[in-house]
Amino acid sequence: MAVEFTLNGEWRDFAGDPRTPLLDVLRDGCRMTGTKSVCRAGFCGACTVMVGGEPVPSCQRPIGMLEGAEIVTIEGIAPPEELNPVQRAFLEHDVVQCGMCFPGMVITLTDFLRRNAAPTRSGIKEALSGNMCRCTGYERIIDAVMSIRETETPAAEAVSR
Amino acid sequence: MNMKVDPRTAVMDMPRRDARDKVTGRTRFMVDMAGSDVLRAVVVRAGSGAAKVLRIDTSAAARMRGVRGIATAADAPQLHGVGVMDQPLFVRDRIRYPGEPICAIAADTLEQARAAAAVVVVETEEMPACLTMAEALAPGAPLLHPDWKSYECIVDGVARGGNIAWEGKVVRGDVDAAFARPDVSVVESCFRVGRQSHFPFEPRGAVASYEDGRFHVITSTQVPWTVRAVTARVMGVHASQVRVTVPPVGGAFGLKFDASIEPMAAILAKKTGRTVSLVNSREEETQTCLCRENADIWIRSAITPEGKIAGREAVVLMDAGAYGGEQIFLSTMTAHTLGAGYRLESVRMSSRVVYTNTPPNGAFRSCNGAYNSFALERHTDEICEKIGMDPMAFRKLNVLSDGDPGTTGQIFEGDVLGPMLDRMEALRERTGTREHRAGDRLYGLATTVGTWNIFVGPSSATINLNADGSVTLITASVEIGSGSITQGVPQIVAANLGIHPSKVIVKGADTDAAGYDMGTGGGRTVVSMGAAATAACEVVRDKLLDTASELLQTPPADLVLRNGRVEIRDRPGSGTTIETVIARAEQTKGPISGSGAFTAPQSAKAMPGCAAGHFFDAMDLPVFIVHEAEVAVDPDTGETEVLAYRVVQDVGRAINPRAVRGQIQGAVIQGIGYGIHEAVTIGADGGIEQTGFETYHMPLAQDAVKVEIDLYEGAPSCGPMGTKGIAEVAIMNGGATMACAIANATGKRVQQLPLTAPKVLALTCGIEPVLDHPHISRRWSDNILR
Ligand code: FES
Ligand code: FES
Repeated sequence: MAVEFTLNGEWRDFAGDPRTPLLDVLRDGCRMTGTKSVCRAGFCGACTVMVGGEPVPSCQRPIGMLEGAEIVTIEGIAPPEELNPVQRAFLEHDVVQCGMCFPGMVITLTDFLRRNAAPTRSGIKEALSGNMCRCTGYERIIDAVMSIRETETPAAEAVSR
Repeated sequence: MNMKVDPRTAVMDMPRRDARDKVTGRTRFMVDMAGSDVLRAVVVRAGSGAAKVLRIDTSAAARMRGVRGIATAADAPQLHGVGVMDQPLFVRDRIRYPGEPICAIAADTLEQARAAAAVVVVETEEMPACLTMAEALAPGAPLLHPDWKSYECIVDGVARGGNIAWEGKVVRGDVDAAFARPDVSVVESCFRVGRQSHFPFEPRGAVASYEDGRFHVITSTQVPWTVRAVTARVMGVHASQVRVTVPPVGGAFGLKFDASIEPMAAILAKKTGRTVSLVNSREEETQTCLCRENADIWIRSAITPEGKIAGREAVVLMDAGAYGGEQIFLSTMTAHTLGAGYRLESVRMSSRVVYTNTPPNGAFRSCNGAYNSFALERHTDEICEKIGMDPMAFRKLNVLSDGDPGTTGQIFEGDVLGPMLDRMEALRERTGTREHRAGDRLYGLATTVGTWNIFVGPSSATINLNADGSVTLITASVEIGSGSITQGVPQIVAANLGIHPSKVIVKGADTDAAGYDMGTGGGRTVVSMGAAATAACEVVRDKLLDTASELLQTPPADLVLRNGRVEIRDRPGSGTTIETVIARAEQTKGPISGSGAFTAPQSAKAMPGCAAGHFFDAMDLPVFIVHEAEVAVDPDTGETEVLAYRVVQDVGRAINPRAVRGQIQGAVIQGIGYGIHEAVTIGADGGIEQTGFETYHMPLAQDAVKVEIDLYEGAPSCGPMGTKGIAEVAIMNGGATMACAIANATGKRVQQLPLTAPKVLALTCGIEPVLDHPHISRRWSDNILR
């Protein structure tokens, strides 16, 4: 029995093993490689996608449990050619290094800002407890997010398209 | 024509060109390249450590569904290595560490490859093992490499033998006489460090194919030319038969400075006639990580009543794991890290690389510098405690200044560390201290110094001028996340040609397109590749000015490249656009391109006869750091919080100050990780016990602290525009500074890294055993091979 779900607004189906992690369905089945496979154990956050409006580690979600789910990946977080405020802030603050953690960072922080219009540094750090980065030492990621709060009013509107 | 370019024109906070694709998920890393048409491969690995191989049988695996090919030891006849060729690609007659590759299998799917791996028969007979360096050095210890004498070695006459893969030593002055002085205080220290695992987000792996009789390896590496050489070597084919290309690399930190599984992918590609993807699982990546090595250090100093260092001796044991690898090369760096920083009237050091039945170690950002600075700085603080001198005053009195000899007798240029210590005090003054945030926890503060060498060395670059006024920069440098080839070098090229860096197209590393380069690492890219690119710019600039001179009827000497134009000197806006000149040249002389090269200037000289077993005796480009940390230690849990971290770093000239600060921030947090969080442990079978992110504590956002940074510019440098490498050295004193600050906070004798909470708790409770290295003789001369 095929599982049906929407991916970045489009209906898709998957007919393979229902235990297949969503991560592999995205990367191997759909060849959408923006979602990164790093720890495959729910620790690093590089595989984070939105499922039904919640950020979740896609390596921990068997596709069989996602019948009818609305899935949004990094490829669908902003229209092609456009950046969302979190992505823009990362560019403007020259935050990126190797970049492997950033798709997950973007998803987590976009959602976080939608829920927290006026975040604090420690609030952002807490939000990143499931998103690791080996390269940047985090602080500039926080600087970038704080700058959104300062320039975009109100953050909630700007972020949820 | 060698024209002076104003280096200030290169300085800008240019953003990264690769950031947009990275934040939108469009960047294709090596791990993203295996589509449905690509075979997937796995490595079959030894399940246990030291063992004799009785039989390896892959015939059942070959018959499994979907299997397309198996690579075995028979496909890789030659040994490889760094300095000593001691390592086979696949196990032959003996297994030396758990996880050692037995063979590799390519199949239609990963599941099929794994299923086939499960039926490979490996019959072995257990052999006695050496799991620690103490065991490996004990009299009568079993030899890991009984045939060590037969191994090819890149230099003759190096001291090695038995389980000692390599020995480097340095002797300058009369150390015995210094210790015999009646007026000196003798301070002796022992230290031990564990391994540090890189945990790059992208593991090691490769996608290989066999095209037109040549191998094409797409890999996540820092060293395309090394991968080319090693892949060809192990297979016994000519290096020209291998092409290596490198997409953006998802983190490296030194781990990818060696070829690893690339040759396996290449063999499988040829055998199957298909494109093959072979990528380490996270567990394999962790358990076979070429870690920063564990080490045992003994150091002793004779201190005069004035607080000067009359003599110093040391022995460093570096655990190579089962094969020599990078440790052989890095043994040289003992003299330049543990032996660095301070004025020594006499010194002798032995640096021994020891084989053990554990996974091989490798290079990790600042390599042995990270623990030698820990040992040196803790030793320095122990000296200060013994003689009752303020640690800052002692450092100011003793750090190297202009004209002082280093450990190998090299004369240092410029007064750098002293002024940097002053700048640290000024920085602290500006930022204030955070003692108030310690509450009722134990508060500690420490300042440390460190020295590293930029591994300048061969690089080459080619520049093509395009008719639209852009230029294409062709090199074998790799974007590993540091920005050196996507920000630093293009900025240098742009400044040389009077254009904006966005007009410099950077071709991804391809050994078929670019000339030789030693690799992206060691802080060398902006320096070496920057210099090679500068030389290429000189060639194309001469050609441009030559043609422009005809066009503008002005001698080349009166022309300058500025704002995308060729202008007459002192007449801004005059002349013509660079596009016009390029188009004209295409008609009259042919398209403009030029190549340039660079290697170590060899101007730094050691004192003859000081050093033996060294890959280089003098540092081409020393680089310095001063780090300072404030910590709060919870005496009930042993938990350390970093309250503040300050860095003064010798950067030569920061051409992209914002990017430099970003590298320092990232490196310091990795260094703090090394100091207080990250622990690799070796199990009873010699294997690494950690399996992935769940068992290895790499710093999280909540562990991070905003680093206060002061960039120290203007120290002498052979780098283009006065630059130095900045990303490598920035990690170096993380461990040292954590250790010294925790010692300061707890008043305890800190001898080991990492200082995880249980370790610190044991220290504060006084139950941590004192380390005194019985396997290192107190008579220094017993610690060298004769
Ligand atoms: S890959 Fe899913 S959390 Fe790391
Ligand atoms: S930028 Fe490399 S892991 Fe975050």
